[in-house]
Amino acid sequence: MTDLAPAYSPFFGCMGAASAIVFASFGAAYGTAKSGIGIASMAVMKPDLIMKSIIPVVMAGILAIYGLVVAALIAQGLDEAPTYDLYDGFCDFAAGLSVGFCGVAAGFAIGVVGDAGVRGTAQQPKLFVGMVLILIFGEVLGLYGLIIALILNTAH
Amino acid sequence: MGMYDASRGKGSYAYGCYAAYIVALIVFISVGLFYMFTGRGSEFDFGWVLENISSYTWACMGVGIAISFSVLGAAWGMFITGASIVGAGVKAPRIKTKNLVSVIFCEAVAIYGIIIAIILVQNIDDTTPEDWITNYNTYIFNGYALFFAGLLTGMCNLACGICVGIVGSGAALADAQNGELFVRILVIEIFGSAIGLFGVIIAVLLGNNRKISSS
Repeated sequence: MTDLAPAYSPFFGCMGAASAIVFASFGAAYGTAKSGIGIASMAVMKPDLIMKSIIPVVMAGILAIYGLVVAALIAQGLDEAPTYDLYDGFCDFAAGLSVGFCGVAAGFAIGVVGDAGVRGTAQQPKLFVGMVLILIFGEVLGLYGLIIALILNTAH
Repeated sequence: MGMYDASRGKGSYAYGCYAAYIVALIVFISVGLFYMFTGRGSEFDFGWVLENISSYTWACMGVGIAISFSVLGAAWGMFITGASIVGAGVKAPRIKTKNLVSVIFCEAVAIYGIIIAIILVQNIDDTTPEDWITNYNTYIFNGYALFFAGLLTGMCNLACGICVGIVGSGAALADAQNGELFVRILVIEIFGSAIGLFGVIIAVLLGNNRKISSS
């Protein structure tokens, strides 16, 4: 047990894995629930638009998959203290935080835009393309978190 | 003056929270400064706290958090969707049997929690002092892994349960207006349910076979 690989090094790696999946799940849950409310409300007026309006829900689910991928990569790379040093631990912790908080932010964006978008599309069908474009920009925020998380995780 | 005066006492809970945070911050900083100014700066050691909290504490807290927060999420989802089912059912009592599916989706979240808690608790057993000397790093790591496996299960299932509950509430209200809508809005609930499943997958990856035992 040295100063560079103390026994508590895996704590930060485990916390990174947990942060990745937990915060990405919060974002995905918010996106799913908020869009779901919008879809359920507009389905009463336009039942045939339900399947097209599932798009925000799917994009929110993809955020949870980003978190799942990073958490699985971190969990597979975990080990006990001298093999897994403090550098590995903090890299994995940073990876988990980056994909996690980016997932929360993207999930909030997708949820609010999805809710307003499906309600607007039900009243004005030409808005559908615009809603999808805005949702893509929101999804890309989660992707940025995934990119940085992968860079950090493969750095050791 | 109405029965609920929104401007009276609105800020007292928020002020109480801020006061608690600031007091905690001041205590933490002054303890750190005390150590520094009396020449014992190296003793203010977060790593010492992490290592000296027993691995059994970490592991058992993980198990407790897994089951309790999962059940909290399931219950929260159930009351959100249940209130809507019963409320919408006043004018459309036909919805009550079909919408129990939403309640069952919330129950599944609690089942995920109990499965993970049972998997994690099998790893905790008796150890001898000699084993602690030879396997010190392994036991410390396993304690952390079990804690975070349980924590992530609990938190993912909390989010999943509330999400499924909110969507189930929307499904019940839409079903009351038009009976064909329920099955299509159920698709959204399935997406929400997948979130808890992802938590289970990672918890099994992280916490499987991380034994704190001598056998």
